Amino acid sequence: MTDPAFVVIAAATVIGAIMAVEARDLVYGAASLGISFLGVAALFILLDATYVAVFQIAVYIGAVVVLILFTVMLVGPVKGEAPMELKRTSLFAAVLVSMFLGIGGSLANANAFPGADMCGASCDLQKLSQTLLVNYGTQLEVLSFVLVAAVIGALTLAKAEKD
Amino acid sequence: MVDLPPDPISMTIAIMTSPLFLKIAIFPGLTSIGIIAAVLTWLDRKITARVQLRIGPQYVSPLGGILQSFADLIKLAFKELIIPEKADRFFFVLAPVFGLVLGAGLIGLIPFSPESLISNVEVGLPVFLAFVTLSPTLVLLAGWSANSKYPFIGGLRSLFQQTGYEIPLWLSSLGVVMMAGTFNLTKIIQAQSTGWFIIPQLLGAIIFLVTSVAEQERIPFDLPEAEPEIIMGWQAEYPGFLFLAAQGAGFVKLYAFSALFTTIYLGGYLGPGPLPPLFWSLFKTTIMVVLVILLRGAFGRVRLDQLLRYGWTLLLGLAIVNIGITYFLIVGFPTI
Amino acid sequence: MVAEGIPELVYYLGFVLVNTLALVLILILLVSPRDRKPTPEKRAPFESGQIAVGRGRTRFIIQYYPYLLMFVVYDVVAMFLFAWALNLRALGAAGTVPVFIFVTVLLVPLGYALHLANRPENW
Repeated sequence: MTDPAFVVIAAATVIGAIMAVEARDLVYGAASLGISFLGVAALFILLDATYVAVFQIAVYIGAVVVLILFTVMLVGPVKGEAPMELKRTSLFAAVLVSMFLGIGGSLANANAFPGADMCGASCDLQKLSQTLLVNYGTQLEVLSFVLVAAVIGALTLAKAEKD
Repeated sequence: MVDLPPDPISMTIAIMTSPLFLKIAIFPGLTSIGIIAAVLTWLDRKITARVQLRIGPQYVSPLGGILQSFADLIKLAFKELIIPEKADRFFFVLAPVFGLVLGAGLIGLIPFSPESLISNVEVGLPVFLAFVTLSPTLVLLAGWSANSKYPFIGGLRSLFQQTGYEIPLWLSSLGVVMMAGTFNLTKIIQAQSTGWFIIPQLLGAIIFLVTSVAEQERIPFDLPEAEPEIIMGWQAEYPGFLFLAAQGAGFVKLYAFSALFTTIYLGGYLGPGPLPPLFWSLFKTTIMVVLVILLRGAFGRVRLDQLLRYGWTLLLGLAIVNIGITYFLIVGFPTI
Repeated sequence: MVAEGIPELVYYLGFVLVNTLALVLILILLVSPRDRKPTPEKRAPFESGQIAVGRGRTRFIIQYYPYLLMFVVYDVVAMFLFAWALNLRALGAAGTVPVFIFVTVLLVPLGYALHLANRPENW
């Protein structure tokens, strides 16, 4: 019924996310997060959104994970504990959430967006660019302000306080 | 793609003789990547030696020691794998191996000739650059995992260097995308049939060259492996085969970046007359490789704060200027 | 070889390249001899003869943190610029004006970050 590639990739994504949350050693957690992002990029490819997938890899794994790793390495390791520890309750919670997502997902899929413009294998990058910049130009500007706010905020927070 | 016969053995044979598999396994795929990386190691040592008025490798074969790197490969493969006591084994082993895989993935995107292309991905150029963007993560993990002062400092320096020069790399190649109107590397080559992009994109090409040398951690940007200061930087603790992987990944990246430069600025496999396209792409790539290697003999090392300052102000500014120039060229002369 | 489906090509490339290369590397790793006689000296961190003292993960070059932050933001900016660059000839002014404003607005935090970046007293 479902594409085996999808099942494998989705499993990898979810397992990566679970490990990212559960890992004791934060560096392992950040690396698992990177794997999870890789899974998301693969899912984008399955959805014929190759442009988004490529930039998912470049921005999320290439930049965000690096930033997280750098910050985590600052904190230092939790001494004397194994890097990974799966408690029974968190495993149960993970299975439950996956079941809900799976059921919800198949319900959504069954009535998915009839008549929507499904992008085939020859997905038009030109059209993507056109839509993004012309139709959503205002949103792009708002996005730029969000980014500016994020940067200035992060820099200000990270600055040492003058005593 | 291929009509696979039902039983496993003839299916295996069918896959192995299919053109795609041969391309992946032999040329421009894995076997040729290995051989070319080994030859480039030798070439680097030989050219650097000649620039420094030495001879370089000379004993291992009659032809100027060209088999030296193969001898080194065999030697390193059989060396004992000593992993430092407090090191994080998982990332320690994984990081250089992944670096090698990443480098090989880069080569798969380059069209060496209209037939020798492993994958004609429509978003070819961003995929290449995205894979390059993954490399600071690996080096940071490699430096951290050794749990030793010098590799760690080297890993951090490498992180700042590579991330700092990543953005000018993206933005300088943006000029090529503007002119060609596509991300597909084969179409970019074909768009250069009226003129190689290096001429209108001279500024962009220079920025691309400088930033790609910084990405490869080659001299003059070899601060992360500065020998007199921090031994070998993030590679310091790596034994035998892992050291081979770390060094080999560097030379595969040299090959990949030079090949990309010829593809997007020098017209790739386009070339006159009776010589086959494959010859032209390899010839131009070799010229770029030699150019980058010569830089090693000519320059001193850039200090980290200078490097970051110039990367983020000068190079980024010039890249944006290049985008502006290209924009006005396209608007002014719509026939380019 | 612009085949019938780009996603198929992308995963075929990824799958075969990674698996075949991984196979080769695993074979070589199998050949490499393991550390049969670990002694404390062998496994100590290497410092050209000195005995290593102190933590392995020592000095952090924290004063360059703004550069890292800038990298994350400008990676996103590059993404939008690539979308713009692709379609430049067809878009005309309607597409270029938003991008121009976008880039100009985002040069402001760059200036601020560079202003903060080389001052160690800030961290």
